[in-house]
Amino acid sequence: MEGNIELLKGAIALVGYGLAAVGPGIGIGIVVGNAITAMARQPEMAGTIRTTMFLGIAFTEALALIGFVLFFIA
Amino acid sequence: MILASECDTAGEVICAPSDVKELFELPVHTLLGVEVNRTILLTLLAAVIVSLLFYFGLRKKRLVPSKFEVMIETLVEFVRDGIARDVIGPEGTRYVPYLLSMFAFLLVANLFEVTPFVNFPITSRMAIPFFLAIVTYVIFVFVGFSKNGFRYFLDTIWPKHVPLGLRWLVGLIELVSVFALRPFTLAVRLFANMVAGHLMLTLLLGSGVIFVAAIGDIGARAALGIPWFALGVGIFLFEIVVSVLQAYIFTLLSAVYIQSSVHFEH
Repeated sequence: MEGNIELLKGAIALVGYGLAAVGPGIGIGIVVGNAITAMARQPEMAGTIRTTMFLGIAFTEALALIGFVLFFIA
Repeated sequence: MILASECDTAGEVICAPSDVKELFELPVHTLLGVEVNRTILLTLLAAVIVSLLFYFGLRKKRLVPSKFEVMIETLVEFVRDGIARDVIGPEGTRYVPYLLSMFAFLLVANLFEVTPFVNFPITSRMAIPFFLAIVTYVIFVFVGFSKNGFRYFLDTIWPKHVPLGLRWLVGLIELVSVFALRPFTLAVRLFANMVAGHLMLTLLLGSGVIFVAAIGDIGARAALGIPWFALGVGIFLFEIVVSVLQAYIFTLLSAVYIQSSVHFEH
């Protein structure tokens, strides 16, 4: 029994990382999609929008990255 | 790669890595009586490269700068105008030396990942991004307290613009996210990106080489190595973009955190 749980641990961590990637995936999609819409409407603001977009991506991405790190720790 | 090249390609199971920890532990050498490993040597090398770039790039002020000097000046201008003044505002000029040296160091450190024969991003060791994140943390907390006094802390945990019923909850979330999570997420973002890229490159390029090299033992199955190697080359190009982008994002977020302390009105 003990051994089986040890074997499963890596697989469970993998599933956990998959779950952690769902939310940020959707979030980054929304951020980039809206940024593209904004750039298409106001091309002269593209520089500012791109900076803000990277910021938004970076904040959203953090959750997925924490999941990725926990996968190695687990 | 060293680990993988010890694989027994004649067996039924071609390769089973023993433990992922081997990817994270490097052999220790002794140099001039000091124990060093690859990370320490490359960190010193990155520092030397950045110092030399700036020394030779900005040594002379000429009316018509050479191509190399224009490159360095563009880098300085990008950090000063694109990051510091754009995000922080006119006061941002004070923070340009810190942001610029951090950006240049991270750029060199990240690009070690895609430098042939080095192939090792030193930012994929937690110590380096975490140290830089701690420095940013100290700076923005210090600036927050010195510009706003103790109000910086009070307004963070008791935000006046939030309805009273929710104020304690928002305050608690702000307290944790500003004073505890910021340096952690800042460091983990860079670290995890570089580890992920490094692992992918190692696995794809390494398995490609091993499969093709084992053509005598496994026959036609060795052709599997070719698409993997091709995918590895694609990821390699992608990682160049990621390296630059992550250095930019780290610097940009540092500037945003400093900005949130400098202009603390909301």
